[in-house]
Amino acid sequence: MSRWLAGRAYLRLAAALFVVLLAVNIALNPVRFAPASLGVTIGLASGLILAAIASMPPILAGRGGIDISVGPLMGLVNVVVVRWLVEGLGIESPFLIVPLVLLLGLLSGALNGLLATVLRIQPIVATLGTSLFYAGITLTIVPSPAGTVPAWIKALAGPTSILPLAAVALLWLLIKRLPFYEQLLCVGSDDRAAYTAGIPVTLVRFLAYVLAGLIAAVGGLCLTGLIGSADPNIAGTYTLLAISAVALGGVSLAGGRGGLVAAVLGAADIFLLQTALTFFNVSTFVLQIVYGTVLTVAVVLNADRLRQLLRRRRHA
Amino acid sequence: MSAALARIPRPVAALLLALAIHLIGMALIRGFGTMFGIRAMLVLATLLAIAAIGQTLVIIIGGIDLSIPFVIGFANVTAAQLYGDGVPFAVVLPLVLLVAMAIGALNGLVSASLAIHPLIVTLGTGTALQGAVQLWTAGFPTGAAPSYVTSFVSIGGSIGPIPVPWLIPAFLVLAALVILALGRTVYGRRLYALGSNPRAAQLALVDPVRTWTITFALSAGFAALTGVLLLGFSGAAYARVGEPYLFQTIAAVVIGGTTLIGGRGGYLGTIAGALCLIELTTVLVGLGLKPPLVQATLGVTIVALVAIYGREAHVRELI
Amino acid sequence: MTEKRAILTARGVRLAPGASPIDFAIGPGEIVGLAGLEGHGQDMFIQALCGLHRPEAGEIRLQGKDGHVVQVTEFAKAAAQGLAYLPRDRRTTGVLGGLSVFDNFAIAALPDHQRLGIVDRPRLKEKLAHFTRELGMVYRSPSASIGTLSGGNQQKVLLARWLAREPRVMLMNDPTRGVDLGTRMKLYEVFRRLAADQGIPLVILSSEIEEILQLCHRVLVFREAGLFAELERDAMTMDRVIAAMFGQEAA
Repeated sequence: MSRWLAGRAYLRLAAALFVVLLAVNIALNPVRFAPASLGVTIGLASGLILAAIASMPPILAGRGGIDISVGPLMGLVNVVVVRWLVEGLGIESPFLIVPLVLLLGLLSGALNGLLATVLRIQPIVATLGTSLFYAGITLTIVPSPAGTVPAWIKALAGPTSILPLAAVALLWLLIKRLPFYEQLLCVGSDDRAAYTAGIPVTLVRFLAYVLAGLIAAVGGLCLTGLIGSADPNIAGTYTLLAISAVALGGVSLAGGRGGLVAAVLGAADIFLLQTALTFFNVSTFVLQIVYGTVLTVAVVLNADRLRQLLRRRRHA
Repeated sequence: MSAALARIPRPVAALLLALAIHLIGMALIRGFGTMFGIRAMLVLATLLAIAAIGQTLVIIIGGIDLSIPFVIGFANVTAAQLYGDGVPFAVVLPLVLLVAMAIGALNGLVSASLAIHPLIVTLGTGTALQGAVQLWTAGFPTGAAPSYVTSFVSIGGSIGPIPVPWLIPAFLVLAALVILALGRTVYGRRLYALGSNPRAAQLALVDPVRTWTITFALSAGFAALTGVLLLGFSGAAYARVGEPYLFQTIAAVVIGGTTLIGGRGGYLGTIAGALCLIELTTVLVGLGLKPPLVQATLGVTIVALVAIYGREAHVRELI
Repeated sequence: MTEKRAILTARGVRLAPGASPIDFAIGPGEIVGLAGLEGHGQDMFIQALCGLHRPEAGEIRLQGKDGHVVQVTEFAKAAAQGLAYLPRDRRTTGVLGGLSVFDNFAIAALPDHQRLGIVDRPRLKEKLAHFTRELGMVYRSPSASIGTLSGGNQQKVLLARWLAREPRVMLMNDPTRGVDLGTRMKLYEVFRRLAADQGIPLVILSSEIEEILQLCHRVLVFREAGLFAELERDAMTMDRVIAAMFGQEAA
């Protein structure tokens, strides 16, 4: 275990924070973290965790890859499920809803992938465009919070909350066994070298975005369970939180470095921070200050250059 | 077709596009081409263009500034609150600008000296700033701008016989200064050098940390200026008034021909891009689209425009 | 050559822990070559001389423009005192792609050719014209993109970039790599003139022994991060240099 961690020095900050924050949270609110209510607690965090995991593949792919449409996609899934599927078409069965949600995720991921890798529009611009598009569509479908969700979706925020997370984790572990994952990390570290080595750079990057869309859609389903209705305004903050989580986990925006644990740890840290602060009844404004500060401080502390600078100062 | 389009200088192409959209608007919407409508668009485009000065500089150097909307909100609310509390405007304006520039300088300093992507740094500081401002005003900002600021930006304003507010000629001077600075000053040339090849620029004695710090400070400064002008424009303070400017400043810069890779482009293109965006937004609103759909359509259009013009190079071209 | 006349000196420089210390000095008008098999320390050494790489031990001193002797620890500071460095691989470390010939030329000389922050274009254009003649550069116009120039001409622009600063000493890392034969000959001519007529000492790292034999007054051959041999003009033969590169004395 320690050897595994030693090979991943970038996780140190997030791991240390996790231990501290978990201890603080358990001390403040032991009921929340008792085994009986773990389901609910995980249900509160699952949307964020999945948003963070979803943000990873495009970032790993390097050369400015990023997907800031993760949050808006989750919101879109939310309103599509409630307004169109449940209310509109009367579909309630998980065997229909889940595949449809996954399909939506795949399609939107493919759209981002098409724009960012095939058409080679800068990923920040492409995903900014799609995020505006999804946000706009979401607000058009459901201008203000409404609707209800079937019981099984609500359960995703409670007893069955571990299921989507386990499914995504399983998927990720399976993908890690495929050559695709190695190729993804190669492309992220040095795309020129990867190209000359024969790796299909464009395809690998495209699939990264598809994967992001898929996982984000699952996150959208969990979010739907958490909200219990269609709310076009909630998903907005998820993008910022997801990127903060990823940064906190030590993932480099330049690509090639990072993984599932980084995203999960970072997201868990943010969730625990959130929970600890809300225990003290701080206003949403204070929370916002904290998020922004955490993001900035996290990237500063995780910066390789910082270590170099400090080392140089010590030797001087 | 795309190659032929690419040969037209981008600022010109963007201007032609703005004109085309205007003509479409005149054809589809009754009452579109009125004098008042044109003046309104000019003022809105000017405000966007001022906010986009910083984004232009930052993108040329190879970065991006996501704190612009938050700084706009900060300046908007802080100026209103302070002036409303009785602080003279001659103190309020420089104070707000200085604080904003300090924050911008921090962004640039951290990004350059620690080699962190400015996307994250500016997102972090901007979010924290907005939270702090809203906390200070308890979410309900009060105050307004002095009347001379309001008339400075007023759509109905005029300078003698010319039916434009003082904002417009003042902006033309500012724009000329920016274009001159980019083309003729040591700072401007260093900006392009760093954007083009940071390693080579550094070996050619360009100090990246200093240039990045100055650039992000300037970006925040112009964003703050926009925030104060918006206060005169809308009459009431609003912490989230800058939100549309995140997307719009990036879009204006990119449509105008300055690619996100850095080292290319210029401010003239941004001005044309700003005109394009405001024309487009006005037409969409005039067609009766609700704000969310306007947003969605803008997203699609920007992506389409960049797909035609501003695509990145394939990996094989980088070897 | 006495220490007093030396413009750039290195004393006790260790490139790696346990490597033997290197002493070096170069005075006006000298052309010194750095040779060795790839990765044996000559690249590290030339970068240490510029202040781009901090050696394990040792001191490097430069006699600056104002006559004072300063220690070389940071590249920018050394450059301010008249040190010039033409890096290897112009594509990644030299050429500012997308910018014009003029911009690529003027970039390092900007601080000395400006008034209140505004670039003194006429003076710089004059200098560019001067170097265009001196170095035999070929390009469409100063505002043409640097990408339209041949590799050889690009290298000349980069050389001119540093010459425009009127350097005290020039360090060049494989300056004729990827350059056509005609340009190469021209560059040799320029190098010889710089040393002989203007007295500017040149340190040239080269992977071509022929080049070193043609240009240099002496050569430092590196082996295993240390100086294996320093050969003077009379002793410089192809055999001796190659042998030294492999760590052997030649007959």
